[in-house]
Amino acid sequence: MRSKFCIMVITLCLCCRLAAQEKYTVTWEFKAQSFREFVTKAESLLPVKFYYKEDWIADLKLSDCPGCTTVPSVLTSLFNGTSLHFFIDNSGHIVITRDFAVKRPDVVNEDVKLYIPTAYFAESGGEQQKTENMFVEIGNKVDRNRPGNVSVSGYVTNSDTHEKIGGATVSVPKLSKGTISNEYGFYSITLPRGTYEVQFSFVGMKEKKINLNLFGTGEMNVDMKGMLIPLKETFISAEKNTTLQRFEAGAEKINLSSFRLTPTSLGEPDLMKNILLISGVQSAGEGSAGFNVRGGSADQNLILIDGAPLYNTSHFFGFFSAVNSDIIRDVTLYKGGIPARYGGRISSVLDIVTIEGNPNKFSGSAGISPITTRLMVEGPIIKDTLSYVLAARTTYSNWIFGLIKNPDIRESRALFYDMNGSLTWNPDKKNKFELSAYHSYDNSRFNSDAVYGYMNATALLKWQHFFTSRFISNFSINNSFYKYNVTDREVETEEYFRSHRLNSTELLADFNLFRGNNNFNFGLDMTMYSVLPGSYRPASPTSSVVSHSIENERALETALYLEDKITLTDYLSVNAGMRVSSFLSFGPQTVYMYDPEIPRSGSSIYDTLYYRRGAISGKYAGLEPRLSLNFRLSGTSSLKINYNRTRQYIHLLTNSMSISPTDTWKLSGYYLKPQIGDQFAAGLYKFMFDKKLEASAEIYYKTIRNMIDYKGGTTLTFIENIEQETIDVRGKSYGLELGLKETEGKVRYSLSYTFARTFIRSTGKSGGEMINSGNWYPANYDKPNDLVVTYNYLFSRRLSFSAAYTYSTGRPITYPVATYRIRDNLVVQYSERNKYRIPDYSRLDVSCKISGNLKSKRAAHPDLTFSVYNLLGRDNVYSVYFKRDQEIIKGYKLSIFGRPIPTVTFNFNF
Amino acid sequence: MRPARYILFFAMMLFSGSCITEFIPETNENADMLVVEGLITNKAGNNTVKLSKALSLSSKTTGTPYTRCSVIITDDLGNMTPLYEKSNGLYVTDSAFAGVVGREYKLTIRTNNSGASNYTYESVPVKMVPVPPVDTIYYEKQQYNPGSDAFIREGCQVWFDSHDPDNKCHFYRWDYSETWMFQLPYYVPNNICWISANSNVINIKNASILTENRITGYPLIFISPESDRLSIKYSLLLNQYSISEDEFEYWEKLKTITDEVGSLYDVTPSFIPGNVTCIEDPTQDVLGYFSVSAVSSKRMYISGRFRGLAYLYSQCPSDTVNDLNAVADLNWKRWVIESDELVVPPIYILTRIKGCADCTVRGTKDKPLWWDDSK
Repeated sequence: MRSKFCIMVITLCLCCRLAAQEKYTVTWEFKAQSFREFVTKAESLLPVKFYYKEDWIADLKLSDCPGCTTVPSVLTSLFNGTSLHFFIDNSGHIVITRDFAVKRPDVVNEDVKLYIPTAYFAESGGEQQKTENMFVEIGNKVDRNRPGNVSVSGYVTNSDTHEKIGGATVSVPKLSKGTISNEYGFYSITLPRGTYEVQFSFVGMKEKKINLNLFGTGEMNVDMKGMLIPLKETFISAEKNTTLQRFEAGAEKINLSSFRLTPTSLGEPDLMKNILLISGVQSAGEGSAGFNVRGGSADQNLILIDGAPLYNTSHFFGFFSAVNSDIIRDVTLYKGGIPARYGGRISSVLDIVTIEGNPNKFSGSAGISPITTRLMVEGPIIKDTLSYVLAARTTYSNWIFGLIKNPDIRESRALFYDMNGSLTWNPDKKNKFELSAYHSYDNSRFNSDAVYGYMNATALLKWQHFFTSRFISNFSINNSFYKYNVTDREVETEEYFRSHRLNSTELLADFNLFRGNNNFNFGLDMTMYSVLPGSYRPASPTSSVVSHSIENERALETALYLEDKITLTDYLSVNAGMRVSSFLSFGPQTVYMYDPEIPRSGSSIYDTLYYRRGAISGKYAGLEPRLSLNFRLSGTSSLKINYNRTRQYIHLLTNSMSISPTDTWKLSGYYLKPQIGDQFAAGLYKFMFDKKLEASAEIYYKTIRNMIDYKGGTTLTFIENIEQETIDVRGKSYGLELGLKETEGKVRYSLSYTFARTFIRSTGKSGGEMINSGNWYPANYDKPNDLVVTYNYLFSRRLSFSAAYTYSTGRPITYPVATYRIRDNLVVQYSERNKYRIPDYSRLDVSCKISGNLKSKRAAHPDLTFSVYNLLGRDNVYSVYFKRDQEIIKGYKLSIFGRPIPTVTFNFNF
Repeated sequence: MRPARYILFFAMMLFSGSCITEFIPETNENADMLVVEGLITNKAGNNTVKLSKALSLSSKTTGTPYTRCSVIITDDLGNMTPLYEKSNGLYVTDSAFAGVVGREYKLTIRTNNSGASNYTYESVPVKMVPVPPVDTIYYEKQQYNPGSDAFIREGCQVWFDSHDPDNKCHFYRWDYSETWMFQLPYYVPNNICWISANSNVINIKNASILTENRITGYPLIFISPESDRLSIKYSLLLNQYSISEDEFEYWEKLKTITDEVGSLYDVTPSFIPGNVTCIEDPTQDVLGYFSVSAVSSKRMYISGRFRGLAYLYSQCPSDTVNDLNAVADLNWKRWVIESDELVVPPIYILTRIKGCADCTVRGTKDKPLWWDDSK
């Protein structure tokens, strides 16, 4: 059983053949039959048909073949030592070839000839277990002395799940060359003819080494084996080569294995908390929703789940990620060097890819922690063709409220859940269909007065079509829906129900073309938005509230993009791309015209424009150039430089430190311009000590235009003419990110230090439209110094220990500085925006994971994780707030995790 | 309740490790900003503009008045009304002056600092909108939980109703003035007094979102039995003002940043500009607002201990001594409030609180002119 895991299957799809062999049992005595007689007999008794040239087989006679009970085994024996090969397809067609072997005909290119000696298969059972490397020959031997380079391409597949592996590193150490597979798992590398060792590696997978005799252009598909218990194998080594080969400075692949080891406050692995460990990523505070990438605001991150945008990423006001970690296959965060196919947000792209159902067997996992429980199952519906995944997670925290004596609290409830489901259909090798859906829901009730509910739902249909293996298309349509509702029953006669809705439908046609050293990616991306900014209606028949809605917003965002990754020389590769995006907002829309001389307000309106249905009320378009250069300085170091411009047409209106669930999305329009971000970044990456230690240094400078802030005290929950409340601001941010990682062996650690500053400046002219007199001021999430240290110690295959330490400068805050009375009301005057800071933040977490029996035959693999959050019990300030206590303004510091918080989580895989 | 407080609440519920510590923010800022508190109404004799300087957070004094300014109100017909400084920083119109509904008024202030630089401040013109009368004020016994212990107590909740049949007043502001009669529990000369207090919370309402311009059951004040308001007789004068939409927004924002600020989900606090700006230096922050409002008032009384409401006011604890000389430190801090010198030894009842010996410490012995004994 175990040996089978080690076998790498090359192209010829061994399992298909094995299955076929069983069908074609030879029941007759074939000894001394001529090949033609054998064929006639076989075709009459078995559902097979032979194809061959008469002159090849004229002299062939079948001899005794002990143990040969099937057609393939007979043929294998017969052809041994000849130049003949055979191939059986699923329909029983048996094709005989001379001088070369055929792989599945539907993937073979005319110019691609795969040459694999039969002997290779004969050896594969025994030989491959002893030597790690396998021999593969590509091309026709006679070409061996022809000049010029040839290319090798193919797919990297996870042999357990049959999923294509994107981001796998393919490297040829002899030439210091390499590439990484794209999101379809496809790689292509151009090499001179010769003999090489090719290494395939990927996070969490066992590294594969292949000895390649390369005579001509050809294909080599590789299956990689995942590791059940990631231990001393070189599973992280994938990352380091990726670092050198990726074009983008600032692309981070999240290591799922170490992520599952990271200590957590709430007893389960959490995606967003792991993202915060990446240098250059910050948040307003622990347990706050959203994250800030290199000085961008939280709404400037495009968060994709299988390609569909997610508009709210957290449960429970930010304490939990909205995506269940069980179904995450792969996560990439682009802090810079954003590829041209992504657009619509200016700071970063967080691309979450969920797992595909296992097409071979049923399996699953489950976990339980004090607050949540989760379950995931996957398996085939039609073996090898149609598979499913279903995952769900929910909280049962209400019991906590029940323990409290205060009736207000006992009446309170908090509920959330999320569900994922997907169907993957592989009807043949050229087509793949995916249907997936995601749903999350939150509902919190305080006493019986107010209920907050919000939900996300996405649905996606994707068709991947391979015109050839070098030209791939990907068509998808997705819909993402987000809404929140607030029901307020505080005043009996004015009970109301308020809601906000956002619906986006995206059509995407994406093409990948590999030609020589070029990898072209181009496509069309269209998104239709419909936003209901807010609606009010009475929540009871006796309520005197009038139903009222703010005008719907509709818009179409269209983008065309073209990108080419070119390997110019062995030492320079370039990724040059351009995205052209346009945005049209449509009526019906009412737009007020304001006196330009005075600040916009209800009283400065002098005219009203009505846009009828379908009329264009706002139009914007622009170019988004993207450029990345990757200089390979040596086999162990590289320098990357990139520039990218991004445009954003949808904005989250938020007026608090952290985004809150009642913030609303708003489309660009007549007044609200698209935000434009420009980022220059450069990074230097170096491996030391036999690639065991990875060091990196990145710098960036970023400017953001057309950001908005709000006039003092504006509450944004239901606001009709936002242009009256906005202040135009622009942002700049710069930083240095230093990292050191030791990722092999029993002891692994990482150290990252970031120095970053983010400033904002208002561009208005009059007092009410200026913040801090129009001077630069630090953004809410400006935390200049940030240090993250992680440490893992793997005692044994069943016991591991991890620790993580975080330090950062306290975030800025605006303090009250003066008071005055107006009509006997005590009023507070504040300092300049963000002039002061809350105390610095520091926290140490530890966790210990004990895995159950490692025998793979066991029905379930349990593991237990003990973790302690904030081991030192430091009173980190979560929030500083001010309250009027009679006639005095008092300050309060609130620590949520003010003492060590231990949790136990139980997981099992089955 | 705003979401910010829910989030805090849920967070604290979940993570029992949470704790709150009190602190005084340390700042060292110049708070020398002009505060304008102007109110022009359609009633004569009550039109004032108060000018002062803001106070730094640590200072305990009352506002520094801004004196010797010239203050003028101009209406949209060009009529100018100068105000004179009645007391330090308090500028008033001629007692005959009253605003007219439908007119627009503008405030102009010119400082007159000797030596220092002087500025002109001007408000935007504000129109006086009519206001309907208050319909009824009513009250009822209501239970409440003070939170510190589990005992349910009873207090008195006051509501009012109002409506505008003409639907002309869309934005309301209310303030009130409470006056109550109280009696010291001892037979001292100044035994019965009247005391007054003004409202110190922002009460505003946007009636334009309602189907009908009718305000029903607006909760005005909750009188807890822990004060002596309801001990003998209580009166409340409610003033209802019409305000502009701009002023409504001003108060709303002020309320947002005053009640509770700073936490992650609270609105980012900042300066709330009013409608007065500095002409010479528009970047100067001018605090306060020049309000132009029509006003209607209504008075109500609550007599006696309202329907047997418990009376928990206990601000006058006393000591009983049998011999004055026995109290070594008998000095100005103690007052003899009762004595029976006929018994031997004589009994003296003392208090440390002057207010318990003399009601004029908290109130006045003069019955207000409007006080109606019959109600």
